[in-house]
Amino acid sequence: MIEAENLGKSYGDFTAVKDVTFSVRPGEIVGLLGPNGAGKTSIMKILTGYHFPSRGRAVVGGYDVEKDPVRVKAAVGYLPESSPVYGEFSVEEYLGFVAAARGIAPDSRDRALAAAIRECGLEKMRRRTISKLSKGYRQRTGLAQAIIHNPAILILDEPTAGLDPNQIAEVRRLIRKMGNEKTVILSTHILQEVEALCDRILILNEGLIAAGGTRDEIAAQIKGGQQYELVIKSEKFLSREDLAGIPGLTGVGDFQPLPGEGEPSGGGGFKLYEARVSLEAGAEGGDVLFDWALAKGYRLRALTKQRYSLEALFARFTEAGGAS
Amino acid sequence: MRKILPLVKKELAVFFNSPAAYVLGAAFIIFMSVWFFFLLRFPARNIASLRGYFEVIPIVFIILIPALTMRGWAEERKLGTAELLLTLPYTEVHLVVAKFLGPFFFLCILMGLTLPLPLTVLPLGHFETGEIVGEYTGILLLGAAALSIGQFASVLSTNQVSSFLLGAGALIFFTLVHYAGELSGIPSFLGSLLRYLSLEYHFDSFRKGVLDTRDIVYFLFICALFQYLTVKTLVIRKWS
Repeated sequence: MIEAENLGKSYGDFTAVKDVTFSVRPGEIVGLLGPNGAGKTSIMKILTGYHFPSRGRAVVGGYDVEKDPVRVKAAVGYLPESSPVYGEFSVEEYLGFVAAARGIAPDSRDRALAAAIRECGLEKMRRRTISKLSKGYRQRTGLAQAIIHNPAILILDEPTAGLDPNQIAEVRRLIRKMGNEKTVILSTHILQEVEALCDRILILNEGLIAAGGTRDEIAAQIKGGQQYELVIKSEKFLSREDLAGIPGLTGVGDFQPLPGEGEPSGGGGFKLYEARVSLEAGAEGGDVLFDWALAKGYRLRALTKQRYSLEALFARFTEAGGAS
Repeated sequence: MRKILPLVKKELAVFFNSPAAYVLGAAFIIFMSVWFFFLLRFPARNIASLRGYFEVIPIVFIILIPALTMRGWAEERKLGTAELLLTLPYTEVHLVVAKFLGPFFFLCILMGLTLPLPLTVLPLGHFETGEIVGEYTGILLLGAAALSIGQFASVLSTNQVSSFLLGAGALIFFTLVHYAGELSGIPSFLGSLLRYLSLEYHFDSFRKGVLDTRDIVYFLFICALFQYLTVKTLVIRKWS
């Protein structure tokens, strides 16, 4: 549905997008995540045919954005950042204009208008002048504008920026609903948003894709891909060094005996140790650890795979030079 | 043409939704009436010609036209709505032509509203209808050329004030440039070149009721040139 190949965009001396390659399959909701200035908006402007790429190429809905911009624009519904609107029009007038400009035939225009208004919960605001609407309703008007021609592809630049929590929930619900039948790319710097909405995430940093995939796939790309928390039951004294024999071990984090759980004596007594280990990606870490413990004669009281929080991933990939 | 109709309608709706446009329109009509009866002393001159009446139009347009075009691209850019417009399924040519036609129709309406003045005096003397038709044709051609210049000024500006000033400055130049050609010491080829560039110079023959193809071509050329430059500016902006 969307293919970007070695895409780059420079504004004068400033390079906003360096070299970005990705593709989006039909029906996917993909989140572009990144700090301000990472190149999210520039990528979206290219995909909507608003800007041409400086390097590389992008194909949207089967059309090249440079060679066939009008067809690309026709296939895409776009909510620009900060959702600009013609304030002097009423919701109805404005959506009517967009519907006409999008080439919807006059006899089906009313239906398209009604559908978009219903989808976005704007029924009560139909005749209201847009400049007098609250931020939330204005955003919904922007969304209604983006979906009025029932596009196969939706590109939403920070769709929930500046909304209150209820409005955010509402807009997310809308996006999720549209995501059932449309291909959606949305950008955000809010982590919960991609978590809540997206099938796939592209983390952008300084004009490059720092990581891409589902959250677990991204976590696996981090060096020392898998992290486990163990509670080891041992009849002997254990020290950090005893863990060195774990196959594929890349690091040992915290290691400490759990307080108040017996004393190892060699004769029936035991001690519990808590450890946090990182293993290289590849073999299933749970099996590796289990086999290792069995071979050594330890018992495992707990074996928990640690999921990186998105915050941690985001920080890993976007702090200065942090792409691994 | 059918395709850009929604865009033209939107441009017109912007005018009819804005109180400023009504004020501007009213001011224009009032000025033209005052000019007609008081400043020109039309009834006292006892000449059955409207030449003097139309003489002032190029000067009035220096203010009126930039006021019509100043919103144009400048305001769209400032509000971010240019991004909406430029991601609708249109080419830049469509958008520029629509942004020209909107104010042009508004100007036609304004000029239509000035018609009652000449029409009321028509029965009072032996006017030549051809002259009046020529004069109105000239006004609309002059207006079209000036609107194109104004649109180009607005695409270069980031706010309405600079858009207005740039447009008015450009129109002052294009209206009055032929006077520079009359300065002593100017080589004659340069003089005729400057005269050729001047909007007022070409408007002059229309004022006499003469429809000269050369003048029509000149106005259409200015129209096309500045709309072309506007399109180019928009396209170049996609690259930079």
